[in-house]
Amino acid sequence: MNTKSTKHKPVVTTPSEREIRIERIFDAPRERVWKAMTDATLLAQWWGRGNKLEIERYEPKRGGHWRMVEHTPEGPQGFEGRFREVTPPERVVQTFEWDGMPGHVVIETMTLEDLGDGRTKLVNVSLFHTPEERDGMLHSGMADGVEQSYAALDEVLHKLAS
Amino acid sequence: MVQYQEQLDRSFTALSDPTRRAILQRLGRSDASISDLADRFAMTLTGLKKHVQVLEDAGLVTTEKVGRVRHCRLGPQRLEHVTKWIATYQQMLEQRLDSLEAFLERTKGMP
Repeated sequence: MNTKSTKHKPVVTTPSEREIRIERIFDAPRERVWKAMTDATLLAQWWGRGNKLEIERYEPKRGGHWRMVEHTPEGPQGFEGRFREVTPPERVVQTFEWDGMPGHVVIETMTLEDLGDGRTKLVNVSLFHTPEERDGMLHSGMADGVEQSYAALDEVLHKLAS
Repeated sequence: MVQYQEQLDRSFTALSDPTRRAILQRLGRSDASISDLADRFAMTLTGLKKHVQVLEDAGLVTTEKVGRVRHCRLGPQRLEHVTKWIATYQQMLEQRLDSLEAFLERTKGMP
């Protein structure tokens, strides 16, 4: 496992072959962080990374869709997905897809932990699925190939994190 | 963008095999002929050619026939397009978290 951390920056690790885990502590109580992450009005104020954000769809419940368009200096960028789990105030599981890479779905699991001192720890785990990996899993006997794909991706992730 | 994706898909396919990854590592040290590689990996020429073909289709390896010998080297594509997508994703995620932190900071004490 590779670990990269500095004083204020998030802790980024690659816990398995196809995951990126980012851990970050916010100086705010869990309820506030939860609200900022799941209330569309608040979300609109930060999710765009300083770019104008259009929330086209936001249904934070199991099976609900979300779609946002970020107006970056390079042009509009669309992002979308579906919610798999929404458990206030601690856990959201959603799929994430970028218009620029359609079909490359990332599953994001965001967990909020109340640190008990007015601070909150956010853990975001992103699970990468490539079409090969998904297709491979649909065919029995392809498990080895899938494992190898993950191993290949792991090398890439490790290179990235080091 | 579609082309970029097909390229990415081919790269993942090419990388899904340990022998092909080993071939890339070997070529990372120096160019080699098909028969050098076949010896190195204790494979038949036919078997090795199939692997090289997959790597060539993915643009990860280039081959050139000189006389009766086929030489292999890395390129023209490197792994950049694979790493690029993951790097872009990670960068966006980190920027969003920075942005969330700034938002929580500036809305402190608000209901």
